[in-house]
Amino acid sequence: MSNIISAEHITKRFSAHTALDDVSVEIPRGSVYGLLGPNGAGKTTLIRTITRISLPDEGRILFDGRPITQQDIFRIGYLPEERGLYRKMKVGDEALFLAQLKGLKRHEALVRLKEWFERFGIEEWWNKKVEELSKGMAQKIQFIVTVLHRPELLIFDEPFSGFDPINANLLKEEILRLRDEGATVIFSTHNMSSVEEICDHITLINKSHNVLSGRVDDIRRAHGGNIFSVQYRGDGKALAERIQGICEILEQEEATVGLSSLKIHIERNEDIRSTVSLINDAVELRQFTETIPSMNDIFIRAVNGGL
Amino acid sequence: MRNIGLIVGREFRERVYKKSFIITTILMPLLMILLSAAPSLIMAFAESDNKQITVIDESGIVAPRLTSGEELSFEISDKELSEAIIEASQNEDNFGVLYIGKDIVANPNDVRLYTSSSSSLMLEESIAGQIEEVIESERLKEYNIENIDEILKKVEATVHLTTFRTDKEEQSAASSAIASSLTGLVLGFLLYFILVIYGSMVMQSVIEEKSSRILEVMVSTVKPFEMLMGKILGIALVAAVQIAVWGVLLVIFSALIMPALMPDNILDSVQQVQAGADVAAIATQQELSPELLTAMASVLDTGHIATIITLVLLFTVGGFLLYASLYAAVGASVDEAQDAQQFTTIITLPIIVAFVVIMMIMKDPNSAVVYWCSMIPFTSPIVMVARMPSGIPAWEIALSLALLYATFVLCVWGAAKIYKVGIFMHGSKPSFKDLWRWLRY
Repeated sequence: MSNIISAEHITKRFSAHTALDDVSVEIPRGSVYGLLGPNGAGKTTLIRTITRISLPDEGRILFDGRPITQQDIFRIGYLPEERGLYRKMKVGDEALFLAQLKGLKRHEALVRLKEWFERFGIEEWWNKKVEELSKGMAQKIQFIVTVLHRPELLIFDEPFSGFDPINANLLKEEILRLRDEGATVIFSTHNMSSVEEICDHITLINKSHNVLSGRVDDIRRAHGGNIFSVQYRGDGKALAERIQGICEILEQEEATVGLSSLKIHIERNEDIRSTVSLINDAVELRQFTETIPSMNDIFIRAVNGGL
Repeated sequence: MRNIGLIVGREFRERVYKKSFIITTILMPLLMILLSAAPSLIMAFAESDNKQITVIDESGIVAPRLTSGEELSFEISDKELSEAIIEASQNEDNFGVLYIGKDIVANPNDVRLYTSSSSSLMLEESIAGQIEEVIESERLKEYNIENIDEILKKVEATVHLTTFRTDKEEQSAASSAIASSLTGLVLGFLLYFILVIYGSMVMQSVIEEKSSRILEVMVSTVKPFEMLMGKILGIALVAAVQIAVWGVLLVIFSALIMPALMPDNILDSVQQVQAGADVAAIATQQELSPELLTAMASVLDTGHIATIITLVLLFTVGGFLLYASLYAAVGASVDEAQDAQQFTTIITLPIIVAFVVIMMIMKDPNSAVVYWCSMIPFTSPIVMVARMPSGIPAWEIALSLALLYATFVLCVWGAAKIYKVGIFMHGSKPSFKDLWRWLRY
C-alpha cells in the first residue's frame, strides 16, 4: 500500500518550545489514521505542516511520494480544530461560497449540498443565518463543506469535540463511509474509544515526539502481552503495597460490595508466578486473567512513560 | 483568478445587500446637501440686522453722500453732539452717532464714532471707506480738471493673465496654475475621504476572518494573496457603487434644491469665457473673481474633459487600491481593530505630503520635488492629477500609472506574506533568513 503522506523528520520550533522534534509519520492510502496524544503534544502543529499552513524548520512532507505543493492543497479537505464560519451569512450561501472556493462549479456544489443537507436532515437551515446556529449545528455545516469536494485526503482536527454522542456517532459513520468511497482520513483526537472503532493506523505523539506508530491491531497485539485483570476480595491498599516493584498497577477499583478489581502489567514472564503468590498472600484471589489492552491503556502507559 | 472573483462577489454582496448600506447610501447625499445649504438657509431666515447711525456733519460735504445699505442706514441730524449721543443711547434701534469734523477734507482724522454697543471691524471699515471716497473726490475737484470722472474710468484697469502652451503636443491647452492645483486639491480630499471610509472597511474585513475563527479554513483553501486581493477589489467595487449612487443622487437633489441657493449665472459666465469672451469684463459684471472663472473654464473645457476624466479615474482608483492594500497589511498584522489605530494614522501621512506638494505646483509644475512626487506611487495619484493640466508628456503619465499599479500588486503580495507569517508564528521573532524562506514558500 502506497503512502499518501510521508512526513520525514519534521522539526518545528517556536520561540518558547519545540512543538515537533524529529517526527516521522507515514500515512497509507485508504487508511483511517489516528493522531493521538495529550493536549499540547504537537498534533495540531503536525497537521498544519501537512496542510502547508505552517512551514517546518527541518524535514519535509511528501504527498504521493513527491514534495507537497500548493496545488496539492486542493486535494485535501481540512477541518481545523479552530473552526468558524462567517457569522452574518446565510447557511446556504456560505456553504455554496466555500464549496466553490474548493473548486466546485456552482451547479454541482448546489446539487451535492442539497444531498448532504438531506442526509443530515437539515434542509430547513438553508436560509437561516449562521449566527442563529448552535455550535453543534455549525459544526455539521463545517463537516459538509470539508468533504463536499470529495478530496483524496481528509484531515479532521478533533472532529468529535462539541458533538453529543448521537451526532458523534453520525460523524463516525460518515467518516467510515468516506473511507469506503476511497478517501484517506487523518484525524487527531484524545477520545480513545473512537480510535478503536474506526482507526486502522495510529501515531501517538507525546511531548513533541512520535512515541508509537503502526496498525492498531499490531499495536494491541504487541502490547497485549502481560496485562492481567485480577478480581479479589480484601484490603486493596495492602495488596498494592505488596506487589509494588514487581508489576505496574494500571487501574484499581475498590468495591465495598462484591469483588474489587485490579489491572496490572507484569514486565517479565518469570514474575507472573511470584506476582500471583504475592496477591494470594495479601487478599482473597477470585480471578486472574490475561487481557488484551484497550487503546486507552496503551495511551496512558505511553504518556506516563511506561512504554 | 476564480477564487478572487468568488471572494470579490462575497465581499460585495455581504455589504451591498445590507439594510444599513442602502439607508446610508440614500441618506448621505441628502445630508450633504442640507449641510451645505444650511448657512444660506440660516441667512435667509435670520432677521436682517439694520444699524441706524445718526450723522452729525460739521463740514456738510460728507453726510449727503453717505449711502445707506442693507446693514447700515444713515440719518443726518443738526443736533448738538452730546444731545445726539444721549438720544441715541435711549433709542434701541439707534446704533450710534458718527461725528465728522468741519475741516474733514484737510484733516481726514477728524472723524469719531460713538456707539452704545461694540462695533465691528467690518462696520468701521465700511464707514471709513465711504468717507475716504468722498474726501478723495473732493480733493481731486480742487485741481479743476475737466471730465475728471470720465478720465478716471478710462484709466482704471484690471489685469488677468490667460496663459497658453506653445510646445508641439498641446498647443492650445490653456494652463492655469490655479485650475490644476484646484483639481488636485479636490481630488486629494476626495481620495482622503474615500480612504477614511473604505480603507478601514478593508482592514475590518481582513480582521473578520480572525475574529470569526474561519481563518484556518480559509488559509487552507485559498492563497492569502487571492484572499486579500479579493477583499480589496470587492470593497473597491462597493465604494464605486456607493459613490456612483451618491453622485447621481447629488445631481438630482441639487437640481431640485440648488437653483434657489446658488447664483445660476455662474455657469453662463463660464461658458462665455470658454467662448473667448473677456474674462475681466465678465468677472466684474458678475462680481466674481477672474481667477476662479478661468479656473472653472479650463476645468470644464469639454475638449479636455474626456481624457482628463479617464486619467483622473485611473489615478484615483489606483490610489485607492494602493492605500487599501496598506490597510489590508495592517489588518493582516493585528488581531483586533483596536491594535490598528496607530498604524492607520501613519498610512495617511503621504496624502498630507501630497497636499503640501500641490502648493508647490502653483509655483512651478515642473520642479524636481513635484516631478518625483508625481512618480512616487504614494503621492502620485494626487500630485500627478494636479500637474496634468499643465501639459505632461504622455510617457510620464504612463510611467506614473504603471508604477502605481505595480506597487499596488506588490503591496498586496507583501500583505499576504505578512498575513500568512503572522497567523501561526506565535511570538517567535522571525529572522531575515526565516522571512526569506517565508517569502518563497
